[in-house]
Amino acid sequence: MIQSHRILLLLAFTSLTAAIAQDTPTITVSKSDTIALAIQPISGPDGAAVTRVLESDLAATGYFTLASPRSASLIVGGDSSGSSLDGKVNDHSGRAAVAGTYSGDSRAKAHAFANDIVQTLTGNRGIAGTRIAFSATHTGSKEIYIADCDGSAIQQLTHDNSISVGPALCSDGHLLAYTGYKAGYADIYLVNLSSGSRDRIIKYPGTNSGAAFSPNGDRIACTLSKDGNPELYVCNLNGGAHRLTHTPGIESSPTWSPDGGEIIYSYDDHGGPQLYRISSGGGYGEPISTGYGYCTEPDWSPDGAKLAFNVRQNGSFAVAVMDLRGGGTRIVAEGERPVWGPDSRHLIFSDDGVLYLMDVQSGRKKAIVSGLGRATEPTWAH
Amino acid sequence: MTHTLLRPILLLSCVLLFSSCTSMQKNGAGGAGYGSDSDTVGGTPLPERQEGVSFMGDNVDKHQFPPVHFAFDSYAIDPSDEGTLQAVAQYLQSNPNTIIIAGFTDERGTPEYNRGLGESRAEAVRDYLLHHGADNSKLQTVSFGAEMPVDPDSNEDAWAKNRRAEFGVVK
Repeated sequence: MIQSHRILLLLAFTSLTAAIAQDTPTITVSKSDTIALAIQPISGPDGAAVTRVLESDLAATGYFTLASPRSASLIVGGDSSGSSLDGKVNDHSGRAAVAGTYSGDSRAKAHAFANDIVQTLTGNRGIAGTRIAFSATHTGSKEIYIADCDGSAIQQLTHDNSISVGPALCSDGHLLAYTGYKAGYADIYLVNLSSGSRDRIIKYPGTNSGAAFSPNGDRIACTLSKDGNPELYVCNLNGGAHRLTHTPGIESSPTWSPDGGEIIYSYDDHGGPQLYRISSGGGYGEPISTGYGYCTEPDWSPDGAKLAFNVRQNGSFAVAVMDLRGGGTRIVAEGERPVWGPDSRHLIFSDDGVLYLMDVQSGRKKAIVSGLGRATEPTWAH
Repeated sequence: MTHTLLRPILLLSCVLLFSSCTSMQKNGAGGAGYGSDSDTVGGTPLPERQEGVSFMGDNVDKHQFPPVHFAFDSYAIDPSDEGTLQAVAQYLQSNPNTIIIAGFTDERGTPEYNRGLGESRAEAVRDYLLHHGADNSKLQTVSFGAEMPVDPDSNEDAWAKNRRAEFGVVK
């Protein structure tokens, strides 16, 4: 009975969003597109803290409207004690739409419950508690920081008093690669966030930069100039570089397709950089028509359907989103370096040194990192 | 200086030898063919780095030669900088020192693209020096992108100063 109820909810929701997506190129979402949830205070010693995180997580998903119990279609509640949270989502007849036991500290339990609610009710992955990294100038030098995607739990990762930029997280967030100038050249460093170990793994002559992990995390695509010109390469984490491109121009900012078979990147082909796609084994780069003259730093969504990138217009940068299946491109915000979350719905990008989290579907955005000097170049584990 | 007489002849022959190659590189993708299988298009591979030597090191003189400058979003050598470049090429021919060429951009443009553009500026300078008789083993490159501007202002004058390549002579 529980199972059939879940399926019904899921179908009703997806058919609604699909119809809207087909009708209008610019997706605007009204309140009727969201599921009305009421959150009853979680009981238990850390119940108040869990409730606060849960409310924030569920509101940020974009799928739900927080409502009073009377006008909500579903009611969220639970009991938290120690490292365990018993969470449930019931309808008005008391039938459970979601029920589970989640473990960890207050934040971790709440994030796990929120993500289970999203997964069960919408069929999509949740972003609660997922990890981001970025570069910021708070100390006077550019250092790498890590945080949760809502801007909480910020930690300074590097303390090199040098230039540390261009961080990239692998899918599960336990590895971070970045471009560091600690040795005086631009080299790619690999940090294991579980063990804390750090290695300078890509240090060819010239400049080594723009690391992007393959979807399964075993390889890094990057720009190397060791052969006399910036070109794209795919490197194994334990050494070796396989060259993908052979051109006189500048290749930069590779991003992998979810299946690892293709890479989209930026190439300057006279009159401003453009986006191209190439097999991750190498071969010929093919141009992608975006309709914009200056396109850089693409990021392929985890569902494979969309591309976010920078476009330059009137001297400033805007965040563009391209539908890779339909081909249309639209501007969603002022700012630069957009990166997708695990739900392929939210973007994080920088604008004037502040990081923003944006729901691309609703257009809602909020500042998540500010006051750390200039915060730039975000990456998001998915 | 025993090479005084020979140098103009050497320079001339180098220019003649490499002029077609240089123009092909400057004309870029159209002439070379995008996605060409040729490995020669990318230029000459860099030599191994010298351990412990970098542009940021104490043992590097960054002021022996003035910087050379570039147009917006360009890595083409400006003819007005050829005097500086020829002086660097001559220095390399008559001295054992290594030179690290550092490429920089202005603050416009996005960070990773700027790191690539800065590297292309350093590589364009390196190509020029190689075509004018410099020994490949004595040249390294590095790009700092838009980091370390000489002028932090946001105006045309500052941007023009910041779009540059500097020479670090390893002492």
